[in-house]
Formats: sequence, C-alpha cells, structure tokens
Amino acid sequence: MTLPTPVSTEPVLRLDQLSRRRAGRAAVQNLSLTLLPGQVLGLLGVNGAGKSTTLSMIAGALRPDSGNIQLNGADFMEQPELARQLIGWLPERAPLWPELTVSEHLDAHGQLRGLHGVALKQARAAIIERLELQPLARRLAGVLSQGQRQRLGLACALMHRPALLVLDEPANALDPVQVAALRTLIREQAAAGTAVILSTHLLAEVTAVCDRVAILHEGTLRHDGTVHSDDHAALERTFFEIAMNGHTHPARAA
Amino acid sequence: MSLLAVTRLEWRRLLVRPLAWVLAALTLAWLAWNFTLLLGSFLAGQIQNAARPDGPGLTDLVGVPLLGQLAQLAFLVVPLLTMSLIAGERRNGTLPLLFAAGVPASRIVLGKYLAVLGWLLLWLLLTLAMPLALAHATHVDWGKLAAATLGLVLMLAALAALGVACSTFASHPAIAAAAALILALALWGVNLGAQMAGINGGTINWLAMSTHLQPLLRGLVSSTDIVWFVLLIVLALALATRRLSADRERD
Repeated sequence: MTLPTPVSTEPVLRLDQLSRRRAGRAAVQNLSLTLLPGQVLGLLGVNGAGKSTTLSMIAGALRPDSGNIQLNGADFMEQPELARQLIGWLPERAPLWPELTVSEHLDAHGQLRGLHGVALKQARAAIIERLELQPLARRLAGVLSQGQRQRLGLACALMHRPALLVLDEPANALDPVQVAALRTLIREQAAAGTAVILSTHLLAEVTAVCDRVAILHEGTLRHDGTVHSDDHAALERTFFEIAMNGHTHPARAA
Repeated sequence: MSLLAVTRLEWRRLLVRPLAWVLAALTLAWLAWNFTLLLGSFLAGQIQNAARPDGPGLTDLVGVPLLGQLAQLAFLVVPLLTMSLIAGERRNGTLPLLFAAGVPASRIVLGKYLAVLGWLLLWLLLTLAMPLALAHATHVDWGKLAAATLGLVLMLAALAALGVACSTFASHPAIAAAAALILALALWGVNLGAQMAGINGGTINWLAMSTHLQPLLRGLVSSTDIVWFVLLIVLALALATRRLSADRERD
C-alpha cells in the first residue's frame, strides 16, 4: 500500500463531526478541526473537557462513535495502519513497559512503526542524542522518574519522524529546564514541517509554542483561533469565560 | 511485519521478567528429579522387562511418563505465563500504544500467543532432552515418542490459547490466571462424572481434553484428536481477538 504523500497546503489532519461517548456521557461531540503541516495547535480545556479522548481518537487508540478522521487526505477509519508511519503519540503519564530498558523501548517502538536494521539503529541513536537520553539508555523504564518517563515517551513518539505529533500533557512532571527544552523541540519539529497537536492545562504553554488554540468545553469546540506570544491575557480571559460560562462574551466572540 | 514486532516485543519481555525464569528453573528441576526416579525404576526392572517379548522400554517407562508430568505442570505454568499478556498491558496503560501503532487486534493476540508458545516449546524441548540423552545407549520407540510429543505440543498450544483468551477478558492478571486454570481443569475433567457412571462415549467425552491427549500419549495419532485441539486454539484466539477489538470501541 502506498501512503499518501504530504502536501504542504493540504491539511495533515482533518476532523469532521467527531463524536465519542465515554462512561455514559458525551465526551466529545461533533468536533471538526483541521491542522496544516508545521502548525502547532494547543488544545485547552478544564478536566473532563474531552481533550484526552480527542487525542486518543486522533492517535488511533480509541475509535470514534461517529464522524471522520482524515490523515494526509486518506480516511483514517478505513486505513488504521496509517497511524504506524504518520502519527507519533505521547499519551498522558507516558505508559511504558517497566521491565524494558530505555533503549529496548525505542527499539520496540521503532519496530512497531516499521523501522528495521540500519534505519532503526540510526533513528535510535539520533533520538537518544537529541533528547539527551544517553545516561539512561540501559536503565529500566520501571525505575525512571516521572520526568524521565515523559522524555522517553516523547522519544518513542518521535522515533519514526511522524508527520503528526500528538502530545497529551507533555510538560507533566518536567522541571523548568526540561519544559524549555520541550518548547524548543516542539518548535523544531514544527519548523521541519511536522504538525503538532498538544493538550495542556497551562495557558503559558500555549502562548509559548502554539500558533493556534482550540478550547474544548463539555466535549464541544467553543473556540478556535490564532495565538500570539503577547496574547496571554486575552487567551486567559477567553479560557475562563468558557470554563465558567461555557461560551465567550458575545461582544468579544463577534 | 507488525506481527513479528509484537512477537519480538513480547518475547523480550518474557526473557527479562523473573517469573519466566523462576518457572523454568523450578519446573525443570522438578522434572529432572522425576527423570532420575523414573530412570532408577527403569534400570531396576530392566532385566525382567528385557525377558518379556513385548516388555515396556525407555519410552514407555521414562519418556512418556515424564511428558505426562510436564502436562500436569502445564496446567499451572501456562496460566502464570499468559496472565499478563493482555490484562497486564491493560492495567499498565500500554495497550493503547499497540493500537496507536496501527497493529490490528488479531496481530496483537497472535503475536503475543506466538511468543508464549515459543517459550513453552523450548520448555518442552528441554524436558525431552532428558530421555533423548539416553537414546544412544538404549532403544527408543521413536514413533511413540513423536506421537506423545505431538500431543504435548497440541496441549500446550491449546492451554496457551485459552490463557491468552482469559487474559484478554480479565481486568487483572490474577483473575486471568485463575480463570485459565479453572477452565483448563474443567476442560480436562468435564467427562469425569460420565466416566464414573460407565459412559465412555458421547459428546461429553468428546469435549474433554483428556479424551484427546491420552491416545496421543499412547502413540495413537488420530486426525479427530488433532482437529479437536486445533478447533480449541482457533476458537480461543478468535474470542480473544474479538474482545480486544472491542477495547478500541469501548472504554
């Protein structure tokens, strides 16, 4: 099967009327979004807003009840194997196999994504160097600190150079130095043409790295707009209005 | 390719987990001890047996009984090995990683099954090496030994498939192990009541695993017995795949 070639003007990701129920309630309802190559989209929302459910569906870990997901113009629902090469996913709390070393994790993820032989070795060496994982390479994942787990999860997501990077709370448990390094990495990936979608509780995270922000509330998209680094106060106002009232002030929304 | 990647990943995890090594060490030590006991009684009765025209040989007195003991141990070992395959992944939160890598549920199930089956076949091979070490010194009934080995391979494969299915349905590895053990024992002795009542045929006897393994241990290979094991394996793996596919659908 030939994978569709990314075209820079075509969206990497297109969500169309995506809905999913979880635990008896609508976790995500009629969500539509597009994401272009090189764009960084911040997904904001209070706890239970539907951010993780949305990202799990985009990553292919959860199937939507209705709606459609397109990756590089191809129907993801029809071809779930597209995820293998096109998507890199860092789930919340970076789940790992505790009995495997950092190096073995990278190999396993690479192999699951179709990397073998020299390509696998090169990809592993490159990501270990980029994320400064050399001192941890032979350490078991089960003994890593939460911050180290997060870095390993990020390395696993980037191993196969995905076209779309899906990050669920990537700054969790990272110290300020690591947060700064993460922001640099995200900008680097975006500059190389990778589309990035990240969920976070931190508004500062969004203004620091994102071009766009989407705010979810009770499973629906309440705001989708561009972000500038000096927009923090405006973003904060919008976010709190949606979190408190479920919508932005009519005058501002207009 | 993704099937191979899942098998390789599971095999690696099996090799670095202490449980697999502890189980291998304990059971092989137990089997080696029993091998020396069986060999001792074989040597003690060698003269009398040699005098009988159809007297039992090494295969009857050492090889097949040793495989029979391995079969008994398998009821405990296989559930312990298979319990974490899917239930452990689910508890660990790592199952979505496999889904997100675009691996279909059928390949996740099959990949993990093949890894455990590889371990079990190695275990069987190491056990077989004990009587085979004497092959140069005495007569071995190769046909009977091959039939018994085939029976054990089929039994281990069926128990592993049952274990994988239980692990797929259970939320906790311990529940998966208990369920696999109970199901395996039930499947083995489902006809005990019928046999005690003197009924040696019929559906209830056909359902029992013992009905299909014992002829193979005696050296009788029948396609019915092979088909029974294959059906059980296919059914268990199909159920496991169906349940795992539903994981992506529901939460």
